[in-house]
Amino acid sequence: MVLRLRERADLWSLLMPPTIWALHFLFCYLVAAVTCARLGGVTLTKPNPGASFASLESFQPWVIGGTAVALALIAISAWQAWRHSGFGLEDPPHDAATPEDRQRFLGYATLLLSALSFVSVIFIALPAFLILDCR
Amino acid sequence: MSETDHKTRREAQEERLNKVWASKPGWRYWSAVNNTEVGVWYTVTSFAFFLFAGVLALLMRAQLAVPENDLLSPGLYNQAFTLHGTAMMFLFAVPIFEAVSILMLPTMLGARDLPFPRLSAFGYWCFLIGGVFVCGSIFFNAAPDAGWFMYPPLTTDPKLTGIGADIWLLGLSFIEVASIAAAVELIVGVLKCRPPGMRINMMPLYCWYVLIVGGMILFAFPPLIAGDILFELERLADWPFFDPARGGDPLLWQHLFWIFGHPEVYVVFLPSIALMAMIIPTFAGRPIVGYSWIVLAAVGTGFLSFGLWVHHMFTTGLPAISLGFFSAASEAVAIPTGVQIFVFLATMLAGRVRMSLPMLFASGSLAIFVIGGLTGVMVAIAPFDWQAHDSYFVVAHLHYVLIGGMLMPLFAGAYYYMPLATGKKLSDRLGRWVFWLMFAGFNIAFLPMHFTGLRGMPRRVFTYPGDIGLDWLNLVSTVGAYIFAAGVVLFTWDCVFGIRRRKNTGANPWEGGTMEWISPLPAPDYGIRSVPEVSSRYPLWDQPELAREVAEGRWYLADAEEGKRETLVTSVLDGKPLQCLRVPGNSFMPMICAILIGTSFIGTAFHFYWSSLVVGLAGVFGIMVWLWHGTAMIPETDSKDIGRGMRLPLYVSGTQSVGWWAMFITMFGDMTAFASLVFGYFYYWTIHQQFPPLGLDGLPRGPGLVWPALALLLLAGAWGAMLLARARNSAGSATGLRLSLVSSAVLALASAAAMLWAPWQAGLQPTDHAYDGIVWVLLLWTALHLVLGVLMQAYCLARSLAGKLTTRWDIDIRNVVLFWHFAGITGLTTIAVVTLVPLLA
Amino acid sequence: MTIVLGFSAPRPLRGLGAAGLALILAGCSGRQSALDPAGHEARVVGDLFWWMLIASVVIWALVMAFSFYASHRRGEPWSSRAAARVILICGAILPTLLLAILLVFGLRLMPMLRAPGEELRIAVEGQQFWWRVTYELPDGTRVSSANEVRLPRGRRTEFVLTAQDVIHSFWVPPLAGKMDLIPGMTNRLVLEPERTGRFRGACAEFCGASHALMALDIEVMEPDAFEAWLQSRRTPPAPPRTEDGAALFLANGCGACHTVAGTEAAGRVGPDLTLLSERPSIAAGILPNNTDNLVSFIRNTRDIKPGARMPSFAMLSPEQAASIAHWLLTPRSGTAGTRRADATP
Repeated sequence: MVLRLRERADLWSLLMPPTIWALHFLFCYLVAAVTCARLGGVTLTKPNPGASFASLESFQPWVIGGTAVALALIAISAWQAWRHSGFGLEDPPHDAATPEDRQRFLGYATLLLSALSFVSVIFIALPAFLILDCR
Repeated sequence: MSETDHKTRREAQEERLNKVWASKPGWRYWSAVNNTEVGVWYTVTSFAFFLFAGVLALLMRAQLAVPENDLLSPGLYNQAFTLHGTAMMFLFAVPIFEAVSILMLPTMLGARDLPFPRLSAFGYWCFLIGGVFVCGSIFFNAAPDAGWFMYPPLTTDPKLTGIGADIWLLGLSFIEVASIAAAVELIVGVLKCRPPGMRINMMPLYCWYVLIVGGMILFAFPPLIAGDILFELERLADWPFFDPARGGDPLLWQHLFWIFGHPEVYVVFLPSIALMAMIIPTFAGRPIVGYSWIVLAAVGTGFLSFGLWVHHMFTTGLPAISLGFFSAASEAVAIPTGVQIFVFLATMLAGRVRMSLPMLFASGSLAIFVIGGLTGVMVAIAPFDWQAHDSYFVVAHLHYVLIGGMLMPLFAGAYYYMPLATGKKLSDRLGRWVFWLMFAGFNIAFLPMHFTGLRGMPRRVFTYPGDIGLDWLNLVSTVGAYIFAAGVVLFTWDCVFGIRRRKNTGANPWEGGTMEWISPLPAPDYGIRSVPEVSSRYPLWDQPELAREVAEGRWYLADAEEGKRETLVTSVLDGKPLQCLRVPGNSFMPMICAILIGTSFIGTAFHFYWSSLVVGLAGVFGIMVWLWHGTAMIPETDSKDIGRGMRLPLYVSGTQSVGWWAMFITMFGDMTAFASLVFGYFYYWTIHQQFPPLGLDGLPRGPGLVWPALALLLLAGAWGAMLLARARNSAGSATGLRLSLVSSAVLALASAAAMLWAPWQAGLQPTDHAYDGIVWVLLLWTALHLVLGVLMQAYCLARSLAGKLTTRWDIDIRNVVLFWHFAGITGLTTIAVVTLVPLLA
Repeated sequence: MTIVLGFSAPRPLRGLGAAGLALILAGCSGRQSALDPAGHEARVVGDLFWWMLIASVVIWALVMAFSFYASHRRGEPWSSRAAARVILICGAILPTLLLAILLVFGLRLMPMLRAPGEELRIAVEGQQFWWRVTYELPDGTRVSSANEVRLPRGRRTEFVLTAQDVIHSFWVPPLAGKMDLIPGMTNRLVLEPERTGRFRGACAEFCGASHALMALDIEVMEPDAFEAWLQSRRTPPAPPRTEDGAALFLANGCGACHTVAGTEAAGRVGPDLTLLSERPSIAAGILPNNTDNLVSFIRNTRDIKPGARMPSFAMLSPEQAASIAHWLLTPRSGTAGTRRADATP
């Protein structure tokens, strides 16, 4: 319903970029959490300084791949929204009681949401590059 | 016709409208279901709970004024802070949004009422009963006393926490159900009950927020309900979901609670911002600048708020990488919040601001909220949160957010919208006093708390030592709290007494541009005189003739010839008129059903299981009686002329009907609860190296394959039979419909039985291990849905036999089939999970 | 602050400025204050806080000034286009950049602060409403204590945090942030003190009726002194034998819950009382450690600490309780007795 291209903007197309963000977020969190939980995050059995941390190196490519896919999907969604909003030729406020303005409004709002989702996906991907083990 | 004829005709119309929409006199007034009555009750009740919770806060501040104080006993203090948080969140912040929305939404949409007025009334009575039950417990020294977050194992151990925990769980579950009901009502209201011509790009911003917040409630509250189910099963039946000794995990509750708890912060914050989005354009004297930006901010916040929950668990020892994701999302959510603030500032810049009282409150709220937002950005950084977490720094932060972001805008809204509710304004002079008392008191109370916290004062302590430098900070906070309270008292006095002496304001006292100001004040029971075609975001500014035409009844639905309550249903995107919806009138049934179901919940808290079951079943039967008389009413004619030559159908079914939408949306919430239970299952999978645990035979325990497979087959049969029932009905065969219904019911019951027999015969003991417990819960949940589905089938059968369900009048069967789609998906998922995981292990 | 005022302000005002600065600095100090850091993590996070505070104050002031300007400005309104640009720049782009910088900084901090500890490990188990403390030496020796932790300065000491009954949270603000103690989980926290002294920690997660009364003492010592102390505790010196307090202690069943090394008392339910005389406070950081307080605590346990598992021994006469207290608080032969028996209540 949400992840589909369409000619006419509607509430589902409005929800597409943040839905991609949500899926990307869940993907990153679940893969990392399951990796650390199943591999055993911290080993405390040895005497100090023997605390060892399970490595997250194998996890990084997954995040890179997932993030690339998410960003691409958001870009597609943004392009579609750009088209719906009239390629930026029409200025807001898009408040006329016409089907055209309804379409432009939805396109413009989706475009803004795409930008927010794009930035947020990058935010979410950052930890995978700065935190490299399960400590 | 002459002018006098027009006038006589108009008066006759108004009289008919009045008669149809009037509440009954005397004690039967309480059978009212109209949004103007229920909205006012709801608002007043939740404000009363706010005052109650405020008194608890003052008691706490009195206790903390000096170190080693013994004004309150530790037990009472712990009950007070638990109830303060609980009541403020569950009985004030969320309900006041629903209350205000129920009251205001129809006026903003030029509708006569919301689509399901009896559901609003039912929600209200549930809220009242549950709220009084939970709050009243403190007078019997039996209130919950383990914090509004109820962390196990403190709360699951009956030796450590008494009946209070049950009161909390059951009382609030009951209220949550009411909240979800209200959310469904409001979502359908916004999507389907707009005036003709109001396309989605023209909705008042308040409606956008209601839509988003309704959706958030639908995804945020069910996880808590799922958590409550697990929790109550552990307390009452010893199923060890949170007991680490038997495979459970206390952290699972924290996850479920905060998946609810964090979005809830935004659930209470966004509607108040929505009030600002209505107020600021009015006083800037121009349309909002950045309408799309507001939509971006609301939708964006709605989504991002679901990625923040672990920031309440930064100190639970989760891996840094997990904290990192939530830290990142917690920073990201500040972006849309910043956008909202600058939309307001931009609107003020591009207009000419009149500094009225509502604007004063709006500015004050900005000053407070920005501080709360900035400290929020700080605590989103996990290492800083490790210091600040569960200290008074967080107390300060959350009060800056909630009072700046929710309470002050709400007060702004109260001053702004009071004429709409009562026809009179509150005092301007007193209002300034109220503002400055609240504003100064608040900052005196809470600004020092940032430092109290960083100087080492943990939260939820009934006392603190005198020699570690916390004493004068606390004393200042206490003084501030009482100054703040003085402002609230003054406000309350003005609302109750002061306002009586004031004159009526007349229509549109603030010169607003949106639809809610179109009616004369105080507005009549029926609300808008006639429903106009709207062609602007601010119709009162841009369509100068509109108010007069509406008042003269020149638009749609200007009359109630048939003596029925009616409102318009329009299409989602473009506001095309689709249906003239007849909504049910006054009835005691919602109240009776709420009392019965409430009694059942309360009885369960006191372990009267059998009587609770009987009363609960009576409640379910009551709901069916209510549906029988109040929904899918067969009209005397197919369509009617609503004025200006527009003819609309009176009865539509399937995707066109509001009932179908309500079922669809409700089942979304239901699926979220189910998904939370499945999440629980897989959560146990992640924390156990051996999952499922091994049985006596050394193989992974499970419900086997044969019986679940049989259950699935039977379920598929029941599902198919429902599709057949709908098809036969459409083909005009009443017998076919009835036979299909009966066979589907038989198959469904057999499927439910097979589903429960499977773990029984496999010897899964739910008290042995959290795994066995969660398998049982998933299967019970599914079986319960099948039984519900059978009840609906029985209802359809009865409707068919009574001639109320036919080929033409087929709302019931279509909605029930929709339910069955969801029940089918639930069953398929459950069986797949509980059988395949042991097989693959 | 004082310097700025020094140029222009009249004398009394200058004094006021100095007093204000003193007040702010004094406002940060304290043995339970995160703003008076004595440990590596607390210092790093404290610095972060001050930077964030400065930035926040600037941002807040700018937004407020802007808001005041927007609402009190006279003259032509801005055009919608210009106003929309304000949303884009001030509402979206600037916050995004600032947040990104802060986020990267915060994320980089986390692995650093969670670096592994050195050889000493201390197990802390949360109980309603006290802390069981066990020093786990590299050679496997264990030294038991309760409600007091001693740490070597300049070393990264690892804490292994567990709980039996309910969730607690271990928080020593001057040293580091908190970490929860959760039944069924083993959490770890590394503390690296940077200066010696006595500090106070507290339970930060609500844990029941007396949550407010669950604190602990921390003493940071020079590494040599700490090493000497720990070595001397490997085999606790014999308890004083001279007193009838010992007999009363055992006769009243205290030994079923408490351990006093060198006697028959070997209970594990309550805090280890072997070296009670060395601890600065009793009842988990609540009362200064002296005979009077201990007598009162023995006889009115549940009044002082509601919900405690230990019953009030009100049947003991004050003299009997005093005799037990005296025995428990007599320094053992060979201990230096760092206790502050004379601490004022």
